[in-house]
Amino acid sequence: MSDFWWDVIDPVQSVLDGMMFGSIYALIGIGFTLIFGVMHRINLAYAAASIGGAYASLAAFQLLSAPAIVVFLCAAAASGVIGYLVYICCFRFIPTAMPLATLMASVGMLILIDEVVVHATAGMPEPYPAMFDDVMIDLEPFWVRGDLLMIFVLSVIAMLILLYVLYRTRLGIATRAVAQQPSAAQLCGIGQERTNAATFVITGALGGLAGAMVGASVGILSPLLALPLTVKGLIVTVIGGLGSIPGAIVAGILVGGFENVFQYFRGVTERDIYVMLLLFVFLTFRPQGLFGRISTRD
Amino acid sequence: MDFYYGMAQLIGVHTLLGLSAYVVLLTGQVSMAQAGFFAIGAYLAGMLTVLSGWHIVPAMLLAAVASAFVATVVGFPALRVKGLMLVVATLAFGEAVRIFWFNFDYQIAKGNIQVGPLGGEGFKQIRYFPENGWSTADVALFIWAWVIAAMVALWWLDRSRVGSVLRAVGEDELAAQSVGINLTAVKVSAMTIGGFIAGLGGAIYAHYTTHIEHLNFGVVLATFAIAYPILGGLSSVIGVLIAVIFIQGFLVEVLRFMGDWRNLLFGALIVLAMNVRPDGLFDARAMRTLRRLFGTRDA
Repeated sequence: MSDFWWDVIDPVQSVLDGMMFGSIYALIGIGFTLIFGVMHRINLAYAAASIGGAYASLAAFQLLSAPAIVVFLCAAAASGVIGYLVYICCFRFIPTAMPLATLMASVGMLILIDEVVVHATAGMPEPYPAMFDDVMIDLEPFWVRGDLLMIFVLSVIAMLILLYVLYRTRLGIATRAVAQQPSAAQLCGIGQERTNAATFVITGALGGLAGAMVGASVGILSPLLALPLTVKGLIVTVIGGLGSIPGAIVAGILVGGFENVFQYFRGVTERDIYVMLLLFVFLTFRPQGLFGRISTRD
Repeated sequence: MDFYYGMAQLIGVHTLLGLSAYVVLLTGQVSMAQAGFFAIGAYLAGMLTVLSGWHIVPAMLLAAVASAFVATVVGFPALRVKGLMLVVATLAFGEAVRIFWFNFDYQIAKGNIQVGPLGGEGFKQIRYFPENGWSTADVALFIWAWVIAAMVALWWLDRSRVGSVLRAVGEDELAAQSVGINLTAVKVSAMTIGGFIAGLGGAIYAHYTTHIEHLNFGVVLATFAIAYPILGGLSSVIGVLIAVIFIQGFLVEVLRFMGDWRNLLFGALIVLAMNVRPDGLFDARAMRTLRRLFGTRDA
């Protein structure tokens, strides 16, 4: 092959790797966007809850030495529970007319979850089990990392399950009804609080899976992962369009590929500047995001 | 005694940071960019006194004006979006500023050492206060003079027509617009004032810590900036001061004896405070009580 091809292959390879990792951002973005759609609130504790759930699942790994897939499911379950706690602590009892109070409470929850993790692990990063991390699939001229591929596949499965729940079950219909028109939904006998709580549990489980996959792909789990994940998740939410699940999926994969190619060209210290620039481009030229509608509410 | 002066300095600087977010919050905008303006003020003022040998006051003012200018420029595009979009836009801006300083090198030789910002290692040797023989008490007084000036200015602003306009926009944009208030002008002005105050705060911060690096200006600081006015309540500038004392004084210092457990309590207390007092620790009712105590009528 000529030199030109070698110059192209490496960037393309990094885009592919980034896009597969981006499916994690997509999951986090879906969580933000879903809670925003239902409650019109930002839950800043979301990514921290995801990492917290992944940490809780470490117990299953370290004590029972369970296989990786069981650990992942434990992470999802634990994160669902944390999601419910976040709802109770930050959203249930604070009047809806006070968006700043819920925002601040979720920040407090973010700090609390982070500190519980630091306290429980003495601040040391913990190794996290991965699946197929020794597999390399050779697709001449590219390579596919087995663990990244597994992350991608698992994310897609999780997203399909979520879409099924949202569009084919009574709970999903209730969730979408509350998102569209809370008072009308209540008049039809849909319990708003129960639906909100269910949304937090569902998104929490999704986030726990994402947190587990971050741990699996990085190889270790650290409380320091929570903040960058929050920032990336919010960016994905905005680029995809608020309240839009397909938008969050596309934007997550887009941001993942984008950041990895800039990491390849400009190094890890500068890479996030370009992600921010991408966000500003979107805010300037397409403030409603990829799939969002221009809404009058905020 | 130096410990208390050090604390007074810390509380003063954080009050300036909180006040800068307070002005923006009055118009109903949650700005996570304050840490970015703070960083711009810190680096510029440090460069002016260390590299150019300026006196601290003009250096601070110029750095604050530069921050205000950046805030204006950011304000126009960012304030076209609102709610969550604005949070994310300003958050991204603040992070972009931080990463900019992370990659920024500008060093000159001074004597036999190199001074100036050096990327990830930060900006060391901002030694204006020790070089000019200011004691800790002098520095604390200097900081509080600025803090009080800023608080009085904002207090006065709040009671003037400008304050009513800001709050009108914060309460209901549509209603404000329909009585002829120019939303963009008001929001960008609030952002500019906020940028100026944050720049001042950053400039002082750089000089009393003597060493700044990009990590000081991350998301955590931005969160603190908006936490003060929200936790303290938006009824008055006093709320910000109370919240800063509550967080930096009570939660950080008084609870120090609890060791590791303090950090756990920190988040939990914020959650609790917001559940019990969603309008802030110092809300409108506390304000009325205070007025009654001092015998003044409501303005």
